[in-house]
Amino acid sequence: MSAVPDSVCVVGGGLAAVSTAAELRAQGFTGRVTLLSAEEHPPYDRPPLSKDVLLGRITYDEAALRPAQWYTDHDIDLYLGERVVSLDPAGPTVLTERGEQVRAGAVVLATGGVPRRLPAALVRPERTHVLRTLDDARGLRAALAPGTRVLCVGAGLIGAEAAAAAGALGASVTVIDPVGVPLVPLLGEQIATALHGLHHSNGVRTLQGALGQVHEGSDGTLTCTVDTAGGPEKVTADVLLTGIGTDPDPSLAADAGLETDRGVLVDARRATSAPGVYAVGDLAQAHPGTEERPQHGEHWENALKDAGAAAASILGNPVPAQGAPWFWSDRHGVHLEAVGTMSEADHTVVRGDVDSGSFTVFGLRGDRCVAAASLDRPHDIRAARRLVDRAVPVEADALADIVRPLKSLLRRPAAVRSR
Amino acid sequence: MTETVRAIHVGVPEDIEDGEAVVVPAERTGTGDGIAVFHCDGEFYALDDTCTHAEASLADGWIEDGEVECPMHSGRFCLSTGEALCMPATENARTHKVEIGDDGLWLHPGSST
Ligand SMILES: Cc1cc2nc3c(=O)[nH]c(=O)nc-3n(C[C@H](O)[C@H](O)[C@H](O)COP(=O)(O)OP(=O)(O)OC[C@H]3O[C@@H](n4cnc5c(N)ncnc54)[C@H](O)[C@@H]3O)c2cc1C
Ligand code: FES
Repeated sequence: MSAVPDSVCVVGGGLAAVSTAAELRAQGFTGRVTLLSAEEHPPYDRPPLSKDVLLGRITYDEAALRPAQWYTDHDIDLYLGERVVSLDPAGPTVLTERGEQVRAGAVVLATGGVPRRLPAALVRPERTHVLRTLDDARGLRAALAPGTRVLCVGAGLIGAEAAAAAGALGASVTVIDPVGVPLVPLLGEQIATALHGLHHSNGVRTLQGALGQVHEGSDGTLTCTVDTAGGPEKVTADVLLTGIGTDPDPSLAADAGLETDRGVLVDARRATSAPGVYAVGDLAQAHPGTEERPQHGEHWENALKDAGAAAASILGNPVPAQGAPWFWSDRHGVHLEAVGTMSEADHTVVRGDVDSGSFTVFGLRGDRCVAAASLDRPHDIRAARRLVDRAVPVEADALADIVRPLKSLLRRPAAVRSR
Repeated sequence: MTETVRAIHVGVPEDIEDGEAVVVPAERTGTGDGIAVFHCDGEFYALDDTCTHAEASLADGWIEDGEVECPMHSGRFCLSTGEALCMPATENARTHKVEIGDDGLWLHPGSST
């Protein structure tokens, strides 16, 4: 094992970056920790951007990941507005746009992802809103008022959340997606259908189709043509919002000769192909075959776990088990959570009443729970997560039995435990 | 720190199953928030019910191994000290004293453990 470095430079200013710094300190690192973030805002959390921040329920300051004092208390040198433009794996050394050069014993890349945009030929980029940064959320919120006509392109997690928030603010919202019921592979048919149906019951119009054309009128109104199975349909909009996915940007690493694919390739230690250089969060992608880190779940907790793992690797500590992927999402006042990998299931079991809109679907493979997705039943997900991680054998009937506490399924008989 | 004004009778220990919690509503606690009284592995603990991260009720959380995991975003808190143990919880939860007397469980709102 190589020696513990005397300093660590973390590139990025999101959850993965800040958590890497926090984990280094929590795991006892006393050397210099430098955080270089391209953004001018102190690091903030992204999930609220399409929820409470957009709704105006919390202030921009309340979305901060950590209070300002925390960086001082933990002796973390945070530099804002410092975009890293190149990496030299020898050293390793990074160079910022402003000409700052930082050489450190280890470099952790945590630059996240960039939202996909519509082709400029379709619509002027200035006329579309994406939602990734605090400034994006501010810009979108400023554009929304009661009666504003919004066309949201993409009904995945972020698009749907933003559409729901816009609707709650009184905007007249249409969401389009080429897929009739989005998110089925992730959540299973029943949860995905119930979730998508919430738009309709909450006054947000859904339309299956793709954006074909956009005409910008002299008054700024956008006349959008949506190509549906039944032919083109016109939607008039004041605001065009896109939630069509996010891609990691591995160019910094690729230019430095590191192995990249969609993201920066890492092993279970979150180590890249260059010694002393690590990658975490939305940017990182597991090498095919790295079972300890499932392929690219670009979710909040994934960034947190990566941070813990990278810090452990740097310090020569044992890398904690990854556990099943987990995420949440909120729309129209309904709380979605999912754990595990639904596509691995060979059959499913429902707990709760589908018609009530609050139920859980467990995905099983043989007698093991491999996944669960749930609407407003967070307790089920906490149980499922433990069933998945502890590989507890379960009976489908027991999962479906609403009067039987799921906790009881986790208590294995002593005879089984001692085997 | 708030003075202990009075103690609140929250029932008998058997009222709260192991691994469960009950909420004493804000109107009764007088502390401005409801207080969750937890039963974990035979011990009783009390924390402010509203998660320090957003708005979830910690009484609805997953109670195990001396910790409660928030039902919204899975922030975890130590039941005995209120310490926020993982993101997104960064602020500790306020603890309150719970006493087991001959006549049941007594919560002392505002008196930390
Ligand atoms: C609107 C929205 C809502 C979401 N909601 C949920 C949710 O409900 N549940 C869930 O599980 N997940 C959610 N997510 C996903 C979650 O927020 C991400 O997975 C998480 O933010 C990833 O963290 P990260 O640190 O890897 O990347 P990011 O948060 O993207 O952080 C990357 C940081 O690096 C900085 N950076 C980029 N390039 C450079 C450079 N060259 N030099 C220096 N700094 C650079 C960026 O400015 C940014 O600060 C949501 C995401 C968004 C955008
Ligand atoms: S509300 Fe408890 S962790 Fe977010």
